[in-house]
Amino acid sequence: MSTPDADAPIATTGLTKRYGATVALDSLDLSVRAGEVYGYLGPNGAGKTTTIRLLLGLHRASAGQARLFGLDAFADALSAHRRVAYVAGEPYLWPSLSAEDTLRYLGRLHGSIDVAYRDQLVRRFELDVAKKVRSLSKGNRQKVQLVAALATRADLLLLDEPTAGLDPLMEMEFRACVQEARERGQTVFLSSHILSEVEALCDRVGILRRGRLVEEGTLAEMRHLAAVSVEVTFAGPAPMIPALAGVTASSVGPNAARFEVHGPVGPLIAALGGHEIVSLTSREPSLEEIFLNQYDDETRRRDG
Amino acid sequence: MGETLRARERPWSLGVVMARRATRDGAVRTLVFAVVFGLYAWLQAFGYRGAYPSLADRLAFAGAFAHNDALRLFYGYPYDVVTVGGYCAWRVGGTLSIAAAVFGVMSAVRALRAEEDAGRAELVLAGAVRRSHYFLAAVLSVLLGALALGAGELGGYLAGGLALGPSMYAALATALVVPVFAGLGALASQLAPTRRGALALSLGGVGTFWLARMVADTWAPAAWLRTITPLGWAESMRPFAGSRADFALPSLALSGLTLLGAGVVARTRDVGVGLAAPRDRARSHRGWLGGPTRQYVLVARGSLAAWATGFGVFAFVLGMVSTSISSAGVSPELRRQLQSLGLGSVFTPGGYLAFVFVVFIVALTYFVSAQMAAARQEEADQALETLLAQPVDRRRWLLGRQLVAALGSLGLAGEVGLLAWLGAATRGANVSLGQMLEAGANTLPTAILFLGLASLLYALVPRASSAVSYALASVAFLWYVVGSLLHVPRWLVDATPYVHVGYVPAEAFRPVPAFVMLGAGLLTGVAATLCLARRDLLSA
Repeated sequence: MSTPDADAPIATTGLTKRYGATVALDSLDLSVRAGEVYGYLGPNGAGKTTTIRLLLGLHRASAGQARLFGLDAFADALSAHRRVAYVAGEPYLWPSLSAEDTLRYLGRLHGSIDVAYRDQLVRRFELDVAKKVRSLSKGNRQKVQLVAALATRADLLLLDEPTAGLDPLMEMEFRACVQEARERGQTVFLSSHILSEVEALCDRVGILRRGRLVEEGTLAEMRHLAAVSVEVTFAGPAPMIPALAGVTASSVGPNAARFEVHGPVGPLIAALGGHEIVSLTSREPSLEEIFLNQYDDETRRRDG
Repeated sequence: MGETLRARERPWSLGVVMARRATRDGAVRTLVFAVVFGLYAWLQAFGYRGAYPSLADRLAFAGAFAHNDALRLFYGYPYDVVTVGGYCAWRVGGTLSIAAAVFGVMSAVRALRAEEDAGRAELVLAGAVRRSHYFLAAVLSVLLGALALGAGELGGYLAGGLALGPSMYAALATALVVPVFAGLGALASQLAPTRRGALALSLGGVGTFWLARMVADTWAPAAWLRTITPLGWAESMRPFAGSRADFALPSLALSGLTLLGAGVVARTRDVGVGLAAPRDRARSHRGWLGGPTRQYVLVARGSLAAWATGFGVFAFVLGMVSTSISSAGVSPELRRQLQSLGLGSVFTPGGYLAFVFVVFIVALTYFVSAQMAAARQEEADQALETLLAQPVDRRRWLLGRQLVAALGSLGLAGEVGLLAWLGAATRGANVSLGQMLEAGANTLPTAILFLGLASLLYALVPRASSAVSYALASVAFLWYVVGSLLHVPRWLVDATPYVHVGYVPAEAFRPVPAFVMLGAGLLTGVAATLCLARRDLLSA
């Protein structure tokens, strides 16, 4: 786990939230550095939205502390929010307002807004701002939230499943916006189920499981959590390779085999040395594989 | 799996499953209505028997009230007020039929339009469910609610010592109002694209039919209007007073027609939208977007205007009928008894208006409860989460809502004073504008007290706050009406704030209770903001 920095955009120590007997978040120690894009992963009910609600001071911590830019997330919520913009997973807005009035309203509440950038975002996200929120689709309501948040140019963007409901083209636009935010030095906290999105955007990733942060690091640092996949095609029938520690073999055709390697690949390369090889490809685990590996391990442990 | 197979064999059984679901969804509201119906029926029977024990008392009472337009305005036409049953038919039937109408539209809109608004109808209709079965299940749940209300009222009459047969007939007369107005609510649910729109349309219908009954009951040349309003049909069934069961027929016919019409439309129209095309574009309201309070006024302007219209029309009509009050034939003994019923000073236009302004206090307590319910709804819909993620102080947000409720109450209080005076002035009544504005202002302390209580309930128990606020407002008034009749200790009677409100302008303004109520309202209001600042936001 990272060492909390008191003035970091996000710093939590022992942050815990209980709802009755349910522990939604359990002693979370988290530090997000200025200017980084932090991916926050976890299955449904892991505690991602609870974390964001605690960071925004919408819910009160049962124990521990959450700070935004050194300010207490609950007690100093007002000051903290001047530097924060938020996008909720579900776009809860005011149905009778037009999209334009909603953007204007949220902008005025926030206090600082880059109007030119907002207008540019409206065009980029192809948003019809004259329509009432009531008559917008879920994806379009989500665009309203995104435009409102991004146009603030806030120091910290708290994004909770921000692309839910967006089509692939708009999702690419969103990614471009996050890249721009990073280039401007803004910090982004991205809670998402879309692993390819996190993989493409995030400098660091934290994986939450049952309210606890179980893994954290850069993608490179997390590669060790899942196997490297080595696929080999032989000139003739695939030979029997002697059992190697940390290597699992499987056949993928009459002349080909796949090896899942946990740890160094040297012993496998040495074992293949005496055979005629037509091709050999090696692929590092994707974030999806790392994530699924984490939960497969959990399932296996639970099933005993 | 077994259930699935049975359902496939007998498609109607799916309808039963849906009806059960819809009935459970509205169970709490139905139960509250049924209990209130029962209590009200019992208390009126019990109270009348105690206050008018002899025939002479009752004849004197009838002599004073049989021609009193001002009281008919509230309770309808009295066919026989010298018997306990006849009195109950007047006081209970006249009032509860309006409550039954409100129940009917609310239940129908809840079961039909609100389900579509929430997207649940789409989910259900995506299954192997016929639209007609879905519609019938919703209607069935409303009819079960009507039965529950009738049972509540019947239980009240029986507990009050009235005979079974006539009591059943009286309960039926009230319960029949429910399907008529459920039909209206069902039609509005086909027409309006939103729950709010459907409610506004159908509650407007309730108001119109009530107004028609009021005019029919208070102005002889317009008595025929009673035959075109469902509330008049219920009254004309004359429970305990020469029953006219034939007046049940128009109720049954109109219920059947409206429900059938709504069912036919529901089978053919697009799910999730109303027949009336919604306006999907809105003009900009730049000036109203400066903060959460102004933005709330913008989105709630329709309902605020509806409150203002309702208060205004009612105040004007009350002012007009205030001149029909007369004390001729009222004995000193009856006056004393009327005093015990809280009706002591009703025999002059000013006295009558002072008395009926209590009704505006009740309406204002509902108004402030509605404002806090709207605040809770914003939280339940999670729009408040979006708002408070901005640099917006939640204490200031609630304070803004309280301010709207308080200023709204102030405006409504002034409006009823002005329009009641105007109504009275058109009939040459001897009341001054100053007196009536004072009567309006006299309604405010109680409203502020209930605003504080509703705010505190919202801050402490958000999910239950709306129901508890309305219940508290209702119980306080009911206790005021019947508490003095029950021979309970004085301090218990005094527990309701209404006891401490002076009948202004017939009596002098009572500053001490007024300032106590204002102070308590302010204190609880401030406590509410502090409590809200410390709790988690809770969605629906």
